[in-house]
Amino acid sequence: MALLEIKNLHAVIDGKEILKGINLTINAGEVHAIMGPNGSGKSTLCHVLGGRDGYEVTEGTITFDGHDLLEMETEERAVAGMLLGFQHPVEIPGVKNIYLLKEALNAKREAQGLDEVDTFTFMKQVRELVASMDMDDAFLHRGVNAGFSGGEKKRNEILQMLLLEPKLALLDETDSGLDIDALKVVSEGINRMRGEERGIILVTHYQRLLNYVEPDFVHVLYKGKIIKSGDKSLAHRLEAEGYQEILEEAS
Amino acid sequence: MRKELPDWLKTAMPETAAAPKAIARTAREQAETLGLPGLRDEEWRWTNLRAIQRGEFTAPTGVGADIEPSVRLPLDNPLRLRFIDGVFEGVPNDVPEGLTLTALPDADEDTRQAAFSPTPAPSVENPNDALVTLNTAMAREGVVIDVAANAVIDRPIVVEWLDGATESVMSHPRVLVRLGQSSSATLIEHIETVGEQPSWRNSVIVSTIAANAVLTHIALGLDGARRLATERTFVSLERDARYHSHNVQLGGQMIRREYDIHVGGSGAHVDLIGLMMPRGKQVLDTHTRITHAAADTTSNEHYRTIADDAGRGIFKGRILIEEDAQRIQAYQSSNNLILSDNAEIDAKPELEIYADDVSCSHGATIGRLDEEALFYLRSRGLQLDEARGLLIAGFAQEVIDEIPLVELRDWLTERVEQRLGDRDTAGNETA
Ligand SMILES: Nc1ncnc2c1ncn2[C@@H]1O[C@H](COP(=O)(O)OP(=O)(O)OP(=O)(O)O)[C@@H](O)[C@H]1O
Ligand SMILES: [Mg+2]
Repeated sequence: MALLEIKNLHAVIDGKEILKGINLTINAGEVHAIMGPNGSGKSTLCHVLGGRDGYEVTEGTITFDGHDLLEMETEERAVAGMLLGFQHPVEIPGVKNIYLLKEALNAKREAQGLDEVDTFTFMKQVRELVASMDMDDAFLHRGVNAGFSGGEKKRNEILQMLLLEPKLALLDETDSGLDIDALKVVSEGINRMRGEERGIILVTHYQRLLNYVEPDFVHVLYKGKIIKSGDKSLAHRLEAEGYQEILEEAS
Repeated sequence: MRKELPDWLKTAMPETAAAPKAIARTAREQAETLGLPGLRDEEWRWTNLRAIQRGEFTAPTGVGADIEPSVRLPLDNPLRLRFIDGVFEGVPNDVPEGLTLTALPDADEDTRQAAFSPTPAPSVENPNDALVTLNTAMAREGVVIDVAANAVIDRPIVVEWLDGATESVMSHPRVLVRLGQSSSATLIEHIETVGEQPSWRNSVIVSTIAANAVLTHIALGLDGARRLATERTFVSLERDARYHSHNVQLGGQMIRREYDIHVGGSGAHVDLIGLMMPRGKQVLDTHTRITHAAADTTSNEHYRTIADDAGRGIFKGRILIEEDAQRIQAYQSSNNLILSDNAEIDAKPELEIYADDVSCSHGATIGRLDEEALFYLRSRGLQLDEARGLLIAGFAQEVIDEIPLVELRDWLTERVEQRLGDRDTAGNETA
């Protein structure tokens, strides 16, 4: 059984159809990259998978780990093992990072029938992860993403992913705007998540990330449809030739 | 049009007041012609005194039962000044050196004169001042808090306003706070309704902060579904003096609180921080007026309101910079959160600048919970209710965090969280 199966997905925002029949299957153990020009619907796809209000699915089905995803609330999807890394992580001053991490972990544990994590174990684990992301402990006690630089926000997304160990990580442009050191740290984080039981979707504009995290499949999303899929060589072609030729081929 | 002074109020005018005779007599005459502020007075457009007008409140007859507040604030050895239905219980006997506490009627003529002559002086034209005038005419109870020069009073001075202990009582207490040069003190108003009865307290605090002295003033309006209150604070600052105000309003049926701050000496600084959380049918209203009358002075104002159910929050902040007051920095922000369709918030900043070398900013925002932030938290597995609660508490926390007393801050954080926790069952209940 596939980890994620999207069939003929159509979605509408504010009366405008953005996703126009997406088909995509992701198995555990695979890393998929989704590329495509600005405005092609990549973030929309992520938001629909995350269950954001205001995105209406008009046609199609999504199955996640055996569940009918479209029947689930955002938080149910999260505790069932989906993690959405935001293209623009939201700043929430007044809610401490450490608090969110703990609540998120406990929500997942509760869904799994486990007790709340004990503070000592939790703090130890979080500190190790913070160090591995090359972040300072002080981040834990600041408001979620509040006043973080672009790169710090993205590291924070990966930190959350590493703590929550999702079955499916959906990373929307986690690499955009990172300096090279941060990119390495983020890539290492993603590679650590990579494993037999997990699927990863990387939405990206750049081959640079894919040099560090080699995808098994690459898809090109254009005007709400996947117009071409291939292996990692497709990303190299896109980088070398741009979208034009591939768009022409597809049409 | 002003509302004429209702008969029950006219007849309640006392024979002897705490104010010096001449002041009391004038106030009494003025009060009768001024009446109560009405709906058409611009300053009272959003908050009206109908509940007071109709209230038929009577003056307290004497000290009621030995009533304690329902909560003990987490303070280190506080000096408690208890007012039950506006009646002062008397000064404690373990007053530290450098501090003098006197029941207002026992104070000498000069002191009483000072208690009833605030800076900035209230004016007969201003409808707000009708209530101050009424207080002057009616005040029989009060306390004088004197801090000697260079004295550092570590123990917080807590004025406990315990309203509603007996049937439909009104009170008009007056407090005078005088800080000598380079002294410092913390004044806390612990405001609570202790019974089921409706009550109206029209209290006035007059404070003067001498050169280089620091007054921290925290007002905590706690439980009280039927509390009506009109509260006025006058503050005047000399050179290099500082006034830190934290105003937290959670309870009460209709609370109108006003601050008049005269920044009269160069180097003086004022912080006005506030949090109001009206719900049910509560009306919580704060008006602040800061006058920068001296050069090189600064003020920083930050108010937040969270309105739920059919609650109503009002914030009006006026900053006046006088002509000769150069090199002023004045910042004001008012951020407001509306949680329900029936809730309402009015926020109005007002800047009046007559000097040319000033740095000022003000801004007001009114919004609902950020949908994107809600989605973010839910995408991390938090339930909708919890995510909402976290965002609301977080919004409040940013102003709570500015309270300098750590234990009190933590206590208030919890109190606000509890209050948000029972939001779904709140219905029409208040506070
Ligand atoms: N709330 C909205 N209302 C109307 N149109 C929207 C809304 N949100 C997104 N769109 C439109 O949907 C289309 C797809 O946007 P989306 O953000 O999914 O693109 P993207 O592929 O992620 O682009 P980028 O590479 O720039 O991140 C765009 O044309 C965008 O303008
Ligand atoms: Mg996008």
